[in-house]
Amino acid sequence: MPENVVEVQEVTKRFAGHTAVRALSLAVPRGGVFGLLGPNGAGKTTTLRMIVDIIRPDEGRIALFGGSGTGREHAGQIGYLPEERGLYKKMTVVEQLAFLGEIKGLSRRDALTRARQWLERLGLNDWVDHKVEDLSKGMQQKVQFIGTFLHDPELVILDEPFSGLDPVNTQAMKDVVVGLAREGRTVLFSTHIMDQAERMCDRIVIIARGEKVVDGALSDIKADFGRRFLALGFTHHREQAARILADRSLITHVDDYGGTAEAQLAAGVAPDQVLHAMVQAGVGLARFEVVEPSLQSIFIAKVGPEAVTAPALEAGNA
Amino acid sequence: MHKLWAVIRREFVSRVRTRMFVIGTVLGPLLILFFMVFPLLLERGQQKVSRVVVVDASTGGLGVRVTEALRGATFAGGADSTPRYQVTRLAAPPEYQPVLDSLVALTDARDAGQESLDGVVVVTDNVMTSDTIRYLGSNAGSPSDMRALERTLRQVVINERLVRAGVDPLLLMSTVRPVHLATAKVTKGQLTGSSGEASFLLAYIMAFVLYIALLLYGMQVMSSVVEEKTSRINEVLVSSLKPFELLLGKVLGVGSAGLVQLGIWVGAGLLLTQNRVAIAARLGVPAPDVANLPIPTISIDLVVVFLLFFFVGFFLYAAAYAAVGAMCSTLQETQQSAMPVTLIVAAAFIAAFSLLQDPNGTLARMLSLVPLTAPIIIPVRYSQSPIGMPELLLSFTLTVLGMLAVAWVAGRIYRIGILAHGKRPGMKELMRWVRAG
Repeated sequence: MPENVVEVQEVTKRFAGHTAVRALSLAVPRGGVFGLLGPNGAGKTTTLRMIVDIIRPDEGRIALFGGSGTGREHAGQIGYLPEERGLYKKMTVVEQLAFLGEIKGLSRRDALTRARQWLERLGLNDWVDHKVEDLSKGMQQKVQFIGTFLHDPELVILDEPFSGLDPVNTQAMKDVVVGLAREGRTVLFSTHIMDQAERMCDRIVIIARGEKVVDGALSDIKADFGRRFLALGFTHHREQAARILADRSLITHVDDYGGTAEAQLAAGVAPDQVLHAMVQAGVGLARFEVVEPSLQSIFIAKVGPEAVTAPALEAGNA
Repeated sequence: MHKLWAVIRREFVSRVRTRMFVIGTVLGPLLILFFMVFPLLLERGQQKVSRVVVVDASTGGLGVRVTEALRGATFAGGADSTPRYQVTRLAAPPEYQPVLDSLVALTDARDAGQESLDGVVVVTDNVMTSDTIRYLGSNAGSPSDMRALERTLRQVVINERLVRAGVDPLLLMSTVRPVHLATAKVTKGQLTGSSGEASFLLAYIMAFVLYIALLLYGMQVMSSVVEEKTSRINEVLVSSLKPFELLLGKVLGVGSAGLVQLGIWVGAGLLLTQNRVAIAARLGVPAPDVANLPIPTISIDLVVVFLLFFFVGFFLYAAAYAAVGAMCSTLQETQQSAMPVTLIVAAAFIAAFSLLQDPNGTLARMLSLVPLTAPIIIPVRYSQSPIGMPELLLSFTLTVLGMLAVAWVAGRIYRIGILAHGKRPGMKELMRWVRAG
């Protein structure tokens, strides 16, 4: 059994006018949830599309399941939910799923049986024979999820899977995804929402402007980043606190939320130096804690705030 | 193969199940039936006996002979057919005007009941010199009624003139009988048993069927491609299927649904024409009226040529329409973008007709070697006059090569186009799509 389900080696992809992915390498080990993170336009979708063989890399190679077959040749083992996703509006739900199963290599009968089981499991059994256009958007997305898992793939690739889902459906889909990983399958998913990634991923890769900036197990990344973060809560004299946090000799970076803030300590500064300064200034503290950095702060620190707000360059291709 | 089959079936089933398909399929035979039956019904509706009075102000028995001729006139021309007129002769003095006035008062008069007339024929001796017979009637505006009446009256007057000139009318008639040209079509030194008229009809029907099929089903492929783009299902599909597999499945699925529809139309057409005598009889129209419709005989080799060129032509145009669909993001956009392709089909269709005059002329031979026009031109030409095997083979080979070239280019455009959204690509962008690895 090969160690890595997906191996991307030095892959570069150029589109007319810009380079979407530049010499990117990453390895997705078998089992668990792997997050591909990055701001809009970072090259996440392009990378996933190259892995499933919808577009070809200009340079580098991609190996799947330790072999030489392309993504499409391994289609039976891969479930892919693209960012641009839709269904045939005029088909019934069950016919639709049967078709999606068939083009993954399932027999028609098998596909129909599994489709009904999944629809039941996700509470859509009243909608089996309805046309897709009669379903609400949330229900349609559930059907798309089912279409992705129907053939019981070893590798599930999800591109921004939770965008457009309401909180209830997001939770339901998260449970399904985490369940798949727990059963030993590999889930590779992309997102630009760090909260989701932080709660679900075992390993992450962060890319920005087509290049990799962070790669590793989530716990290792946090450890490497150091316990150099303060979580603060204020009761009064907030202005004095702001002045201390703005002192670059103490604090290198602040995520200020008003009543609370997350601050990164400057090199060589001990947490109690900051505490001392706060107390001296008479700041009312509700919380003062040295914490692990959130993925959000790691992300911002690594990618830079300008990248987060960077306009989505050719979002369709990126 | 299993995946391709799934695509074909999905395309076929979802097409056959639409309301448009069912209505179109049923409407075809109904339309054929309508065009067959409508003229017959019209004719039957006209088989109304007219009450006519002959005002006879002539001398020498002309009025009597006019009356007899009118009594002998029937609708279908045969002696056993329904008489056209119910005739009363009224001998009148030379000043017949008062009599005529009183008869005109009865014409088309509803309150006159049984006495009501449809028309009055005035026969005077002037007829022999002035070349006119007066008719006053309610149906004077009906060209077909007036033609029939004129035909009968002309015959009587000509007879009368001949008799008065001392010529035997029978002798004269037998010498001036018209001569008919009986046509029979010869193909490769063999009589086809088909008349020239019938073979023209065959060419017409074939050209029409080809034209409709290429256009109708080509456009269905196009809208199917656009539908997958607008519903954004393409990306899931091409992660499991090669774009070319998807395109091929789509063309085959739409094509087989089209074949089913065409089969029903042609089958119903044949069945109805074969039974047209029986259908006419049900409507009370005698058989001889309908039997003279020319029926083409279709030889096996013509069927083979037709089918071969139809299939290659269908693939060629379906691929071209699919490429157009892949370039566009909405159905509205395709209307405009499909124009060039549609115009070429229409041009081939129109050319086929002008070439019927000279099916082996230079232009016909040239257009037979162009893959875009050959699928329509060759079958139509072949129905008219034989085409040599070398020419046929050359044309077919070129058409197949053309089809493969179009399919290759279309496949490359399709591959990129189905994932591209937004602005329609320009010529330069399209070239890049075709070249892209």
